[in-house]
Amino acid sequence: MPHCTPEDLGLAALREPLDRDSAAHLAGCATCRTDVARLRRAVDVLAVPELADPGPPVAPPPGLWAGIAGATGVVTAPRPDVVAASAPPAGPVPDALPVPMTAPPDASAPDAPLAPVVPLRPRRSRLLPAAAAALVGLGIGAGGVLLTDRGDGDGGVPVAAAALDPLEGSDASGSAEVVEREDGTRVLRVELSADAPAEGYYEAWLLDESVSGLIPLGVVRAGTEDFELPEGLDLGEYPVVDVSVEPLDGDPAHSGVSVARGLLDT
Amino acid sequence: MPAGAAEPDDDEVGRRFAAGDEQALAWAYERYAARVHGMAVRAFGPGPDAEDVTQQVFVSAWTGRAGFRPEQGPLPAWLTGVCRHKIADTWARRDKQRRATEAAIADAQAGPARGSAPVDAAVADRVLLLGELDRLGQPQRGIIELAFFADLTHTQIAERTGLPLGTVKSHIRRTLERLRDRLEVDGAALHA
Ligand SMILES: [Zn+2]
Repeated sequence: MPHCTPEDLGLAALREPLDRDSAAHLAGCATCRTDVARLRRAVDVLAVPELADPGPPVAPPPGLWAGIAGATGVVTAPRPDVVAASAPPAGPVPDALPVPMTAPPDASAPDAPLAPVVPLRPRRSRLLPAAAAALVGLGIGAGGVLLTDRGDGDGGVPVAAAALDPLEGSDASGSAEVVEREDGTRVLRVELSADAPAEGYYEAWLLDESVSGLIPLGVVRAGTEDFELPEGLDLGEYPVVDVSVEPLDGDPAHSGVSVARGLLDT
Repeated sequence: MPAGAAEPDDDEVGRRFAAGDEQALAWAYERYAARVHGMAVRAFGPGPDAEDVTQQVFVSAWTGRAGFRPEQGPLPAWLTGVCRHKIADTWARRDKQRRATEAAIADAQAGPARGSAPVDAAVADRVLLLGELDRLGQPQRGIIELAFFADLTHTQIAERTGLPLGTVKSHIRRTLERLRDRLEVDGAALHA
């Protein structure tokens, strides 16, 4: 029996079974076995599970893009909701699924029902934030007014509520409720359970479900905060309650780093 | 992105990425970051190492986009290759740190058994061979990657690629010989 063909030696190096004659020869031929061993070193070096084709996707944490933007100088930014919806977050899975995960796994699906597509600008954008533009359009000069009463209730009628589910591995969660008072004004009451952010502060927002609108409500801390909603605001149009972490950089735009979110059921 | 604008397909994202369109980097991140990060987490667990790798993959891919040839394969596959490099580089960096630490301990002890700690040969060889894979043309590279990283047999590779069985076998053989030669000339095991 002649030596194995070079092709068979290659397959044997990959641990593929050979036909019976070749396998029998290989078993008894030191020359061929040495050849296989030399070829196999590369297989053993490279064919390791850590380098295998991608396995289950894991959503990168929300802050990760900032480093890429910083290193590349690129000022466009991925939509955080689309990234978050692309896979479960790393780390322990929260008890309640983050809202965007109820969206179809194909984040590019045009009608993802609960993943509000909010093209947030990168923080360093020199452009006028679309949020500010939207506020001008609505005739709102500033965010909602933070009321001093902290959730003691004043007999208003609840008209909408949302559970705030953690996003992207954050530990923030809570609930939100819209209460309509006797005089017709409305208050969004946010109850947040979260550790203080490592840097910056939490801010509450109402988001438009589909396009570019977002309304800043104000600073929110763990506990219960009430925000008076602008008169005439259509909650059907801004049904998503969002809590973000904002750096203390004076930039009024949404940082793109959301920690909890929920959809108001009106 | 304007509301309601149609999103480009993956091929279009790849072409625009290669052309240096910044929006394509954002799209690529939206679409592929979770795959890349999944690989990084698989190698290092969730945490800073995995996050560094994912970040480096996109930074390197963007700054090195001239090396991406859309006609040679899709962008996510190329990013996967970049991720392999970053994982292997991280291992190599850790190995270097380990040796530095051991050398420092040996210095401190001033023991008789001085001498630098040995390089982890597999770690160094992995960096070397991933570099060699980059030099392969198609279809050789795609074939060997399916064998190494998708764990396909040569029969399955022939089915997947539509190439004749004999062609697949001979490409596998030649690539393995090339990698063997590279290891035997430049591999760490012989130079440790
Ligand atoms: Zn033989």
